[in-house]
Amino acid sequence: MATGSNKSPSTPIPEPSAAKPISDAPTPTITIDLPPPSDSTPAAITTTSASAATSITAPNSIATPTTATAVSTSTSTSNSNARPHPEPLSSDADIIHIPSYSRWFAWNSVHECEVRFVPEFFDGRSPSKNPRVYKYYRNAIIRRFRENPAKKITFTEVRKTIVGDVGSIRRIFDFLEAWGLINYTGSSKPQLKWEEKESKLAAAALQGGDAAGGSGTNVTISKSKLCSNCKGVCSFACFASDKHDMTLCARCYVRGSYRDSSEFKRVEISEEAKTDWTDKETLQLLEAIMHYGDDWKKVAGHVGGRSEKECVTHFVNLPFGEQFDGPPESAELDTALSSQNLSRPTKRMCLSPLTDLSHPIMAQAAFLSTLVGVDVAEVAARAALTALSALGDGKLKESLKISSGAAKQQESDIASNSEDPNSMEGDLAEARLQLEKEDEELEKAISGIAVQTKEIEDKIVQFEEFDLQMERKRQQLQQLLNLLFVDQFTLSLHKTPAQPKAGESIGEGVKAD
Amino acid sequence: MKSHSAWGTSKSLVKFRIPTSDNLVPIRLDIEIDGQRFRDAFTWNPSDPDSEVVVFAKRTVKDLKLPPAFVTQIAQSIQTQLTEFRSYEGQDMYTGERVVPIKLDLRVNHTLIKDHFLWELNNFESDPEEFARNFCKDMGIEDPEVGPAIAIAIREQLYEIAVQSVTSAKESRISKKGRRAGEFFSASKTGGNAVDLVKLFGNKSSVIRKRKEWDVYEPIVDLLSNEEVDALEAKEERNIR
Repeated sequence: MATGSNKSPSTPIPEPSAAKPISDAPTPTITIDLPPPSDSTPAAITTTSASAATSITAPNSIATPTTATAVSTSTSTSNSNARPHPEPLSSDADIIHIPSYSRWFAWNSVHECEVRFVPEFFDGRSPSKNPRVYKYYRNAIIRRFRENPAKKITFTEVRKTIVGDVGSIRRIFDFLEAWGLINYTGSSKPQLKWEEKESKLAAAALQGGDAAGGSGTNVTISKSKLCSNCKGVCSFACFASDKHDMTLCARCYVRGSYRDSSEFKRVEISEEAKTDWTDKETLQLLEAIMHYGDDWKKVAGHVGGRSEKECVTHFVNLPFGEQFDGPPESAELDTALSSQNLSRPTKRMCLSPLTDLSHPIMAQAAFLSTLVGVDVAEVAARAALTALSALGDGKLKESLKISSGAAKQQESDIASNSEDPNSMEGDLAEARLQLEKEDEELEKAISGIAVQTKEIEDKIVQFEEFDLQMERKRQQLQQLLNLLFVDQFTLSLHKTPAQPKAGESIGEGVKAD
Repeated sequence: MKSHSAWGTSKSLVKFRIPTSDNLVPIRLDIEIDGQRFRDAFTWNPSDPDSEVVVFAKRTVKDLKLPPAFVTQIAQSIQTQLTEFRSYEGQDMYTGERVVPIKLDLRVNHTLIKDHFLWELNNFESDPEEFARNFCKDMGIEDPEVGPAIAIAIREQLYEIAVQSVTSAKESRISKKGRRAGEFFSASKTGGNAVDLVKLFGNKSSVIRKRKEWDVYEPIVDLLSNEEVDALEAKEERNIR
């Protein structure tokens, strides 16, 4: 089981090297996601080595020769080992994510899809709307967003700071947002849930019940908001102001008549703080999640009396020291394999489908890891990792037997836990390194394949064009032939009246042609 | 440079529009609901469809997290200002070689700007946005909200002047009978705030400004501290009441 550390112990965190801008691009670097998976998670494959970075630039350069993106070799190690869903990020790394379908973007030029989607600037109808103005607005908006990429920028902020008429700015803003060139940061809610659950599982499995219990109580404390004015608990909605660093309950806000509404933001407090979840309801919730997985409507229906939102929020806030009643699962082999699977996703980027907890094996792994306890799970994971490395060597069956045997043995020896912690860690570190290496190779291979397929596609297109031209030429030749035939025919017709035997010679002439 | 009577006669009749390169309307919002005040100013393109108004209002309310009662108020306010603009649109206004002084006296967040310059009214290629951008760049203003505020202030003043010229055109038409158009126009030209170019660039004077007028025309940009900002805000509110 991975120790859940967020930084790889062996690779230091390099300072972001200066980007090599190809043109006017600003210093933030841009990594291009390879084709996003169907549920549109930004599968940003940020790499930890220079070679991998260049492999990503290759498709980039083929696809968009005008692209002026600066791809620097600055790395973000915080991305590599942490959650499977990469979050943007620590501003050290200065990496901006944009989806692959927006690869065409370039600072200095206007792409044809922009012409298509925002035609008002390009059709020359109004003199003030021209490509130069469009570029100015667009670049200004993107630049403002990239000043603080972790935060979603709102249209109102943008239009307050850009000189121009708000209608056009709004349309450009919507266009950029739709294409992911700005505000492509937030993770959608279900993903957030799963990754939180996973991290909680990992945390629970490793640190035991204490930490999980602690985190549970922390969560409940942070929920209630106190008004800084009247020191009462805010119930319905409170107004929070970043400027003055105050939180006011609704009553104080109105009474104090804080007029500048832009400072105060209204924060809704969920109803859940009022009604506590009974154990029975919690149990129902967990059962429902086991059965229905991601379908919160059904879960809410199963629990009865709780809305979807409440179910979701409660589940997310559950302290994971609880023991679930899962379907009985006894084979240690399964433990080994499934815990191995669990350790994997915490390293991998979301290429792995196992990050989704609705997967039955994953869910069972979660239960088992809490059922059997921390140490056994760790040991089993170690055994699994050795099995994995042995797999690479091709000794599949034997090693599985070994690992299962080892797991059994170690489980029986659990009381006399006499392993040397250092060697365990060393092994784990090695295994992790190997896994990383394999990750990189895999990514390289994939990007290489992507490059090749692109090339092949281009070639196919060219060939099709050639075919078309050939066809045309052939048709032209055919026409020429026909014309020639007609000419000869008429010529022979003219010739033959000079001769008396018209019919025969015509026939001859025709036959000769 | 003999006779400058040519100045007075080059009046042409033109459909009403803001005398800048793009016909944008300056809109100012100042709405108060339940003790919450929302003040804003921006430029609007009158050729946008009216549906855009509601969209914009909703967007603004959502972004600023205002209570939803603002949506209708904002939309209404924008609509009234737009219709007012459109009511002038069908009418004629006179343009001539008029140079008007524009005064800037505004405070945006922490920046205070005072400026005074001349603007050519019948140059339909003029662009307040461009001016604002250059101003901010030249004066090294870092607050990005200042630019739009300047552009809007200029536009508002131009709008007022355009409206005045429409009304003066109407008056002149009403009282046209028996009078020569030229007389009336020269009167209205030198009256009000137009600068008499004849006097300025006449025979004897030069194009260079007199020294005593230098201070008047110099742009002043001040950065205020927090207390000064609060003091000014309090004063403004007292003035409004």
